[in-house]
Amino acid sequence: MYTTYRLTVASIKMLVRNRQALFFTLLMPLFIMLIFGYIGFDKPQTIDVGIATSTPAGASEAFLEQIKKFPTFTIHEGSLAEEKTALDQGNRAVVLSPEGGTIVAYTSASKPESQAVVAALNQYISSATLAGAHISPLITIETRVVNAHNLRYIEFLLPGLIALSIMQMSVFSVAFVFTQYKEKGVLKRLLATPMRPLQFVAANAITRLLVSVLQAAIFIVAGLLLFHVTVIGSYWLLALSVILGSLMFLGLGFTISGLAKTTDSVPVFANLVVFPMMFLGGTFFAVSSMPAWLQVIAKLLPLTYFSTAVREIMTKGSGLAIIWPDLLGMVVWGIILITLATYTFSFQEREAA
Amino acid sequence: MPNIIEVKDLYKKYGDFTAVDHISFSVKEGEIFGILGPNGAGKTTTLEILEGLKLPTSGSIVVDGIDVQKHPTKVKARIGVQLQASNFFEALTLVELIETFGAMYGREVDAMKLLEQVQLTDKAKNQAKELSGGQRQRLSIAIGLVNDPRILFLDEPTTGLDPQARRNLWDLIGGIKKDGTTVVITTHYMDEAEVLCDRVAIMDGGTIVSMDTPRKLIDQLLATGFSKPVVQQQANLEDVFLNFTGHALRE
Repeated sequence: MYTTYRLTVASIKMLVRNRQALFFTLLMPLFIMLIFGYIGFDKPQTIDVGIATSTPAGASEAFLEQIKKFPTFTIHEGSLAEEKTALDQGNRAVVLSPEGGTIVAYTSASKPESQAVVAALNQYISSATLAGAHISPLITIETRVVNAHNLRYIEFLLPGLIALSIMQMSVFSVAFVFTQYKEKGVLKRLLATPMRPLQFVAANAITRLLVSVLQAAIFIVAGLLLFHVTVIGSYWLLALSVILGSLMFLGLGFTISGLAKTTDSVPVFANLVVFPMMFLGGTFFAVSSMPAWLQVIAKLLPLTYFSTAVREIMTKGSGLAIIWPDLLGMVVWGIILITLATYTFSFQEREAA
Repeated sequence: MPNIIEVKDLYKKYGDFTAVDHISFSVKEGEIFGILGPNGAGKTTTLEILEGLKLPTSGSIVVDGIDVQKHPTKVKARIGVQLQASNFFEALTLVELIETFGAMYGREVDAMKLLEQVQLTDKAKNQAKELSGGQRQRLSIAIGLVNDPRILFLDEPTTGLDPQARRNLWDLIGGIKKDGTTVVITTHYMDEAEVLCDRVAIMDGGTIVSMDTPRKLIDQLLATGFSKPVVQQQANLEDVFLNFTGHALRE
């Protein structure tokens, strides 16, 4: 225990002092989060409405003033000719031109929202007319928002980034460090001590599990402070998922350092596995948005189980009853990858013939 | 002095290649035992089998009364090792490095005392990668001493070092012997073996071709009628070099 504890402390020091590793495990994913978070994929879409000012509005003046206050409309004013050109080019959904007592609405066949705008305007006119005549409508519609928690893109992205960055850290830091140890003869030197290799592996694994929990915490804090995301589910369940996810990718990291003969070949092996998962593992977009045949593959990827579990917990507050298949998927992958690691990775050099 | 290492009929082959071919020798407690030989003679393989790093194909090896093949871990706890490739963890200071290795033996180590022994106290806060070749070997020896070993194994510790650093290392190794530690060392340098070793084994092609004290080996050769043109020189070029550059370490 003493040995493993001291080795863990040493291994934490080594990891923290490795600036390159820190950059890739913490800063890089945070940059991604900032970039995607501030691009703002989810600013409410507004509809471009043009109002022709070339003719005097007359009676419709008051009505047009009301329309300008609609939050869903972005109002553009110009001459009728200008506005119709803009409509032609697809820059307006509707162009309204007051002509005497009527308002002519020019719509675009290529803009599906055109018809909706006209319908909404008609609706507005009817209710205004009823109100003007002091007649209360027979039926009123009251809207109640049921889905109070509307998922923004950053809230979708954040759990995926947590899973992605933990994958990167677990795979790369183990694969690079242990291949280097093997290459430089450090493992052989360790083998000359009475320490059991498993103690050293455990110390390094514990270090990285702690880092992965820290990574998740930093992401969540950054999300809370910068993007006001909400985390609904249990933090304990989140920690469990993070540790399971990190464990299976540590297995992958050790497998790679067993296969790679030099540190130069580590990125080749690692990217072969990690790179496709970056895009298919449910980080940047949902697996359900992929073609059906690809979904079959994507759903079985270790990163998909991981990001799904984290996302379910964080955005929907799902409990064990819902995420157990994902946790099970991680356990199965963990067993596969760690078993593979014990076959490929060894402190002992292979004795060449 | 009793024997601290007993090797009987040690044989090691890799596939079809015989690295060590049925050798037997013993090392006495408290001596410096040298294994000499050209590259590929089987020195390192022999050493690594004694250290419990490699298994022999056949033969028996007893180190400090323990069968290495049966109890490699017990042997490892009692010996100190310096390998040819002396690389250690990056990002740790020498003190942290020595303490970490101490922990691998389950020990708390006075790192500064060990650094003092190998004259590296002023580098205590540096990292291993910042050391010169000679300093690195001395660190390697300090790490080999963390467990107060009964036997210290040194594999070509002076290869690639300048004359000053070599002599400095000889003094260090001589000091370790004085402290009562048995030393087994491999080297390419005959002058080194002559100065340091109580007994040497000369290996070639996986076998021991001769074994005795350096003095006796020389006498045996002379007894066969061997002679070389005697050049009455009271000094050689190395003496000239050291006369100009001094014995002080450069690093």
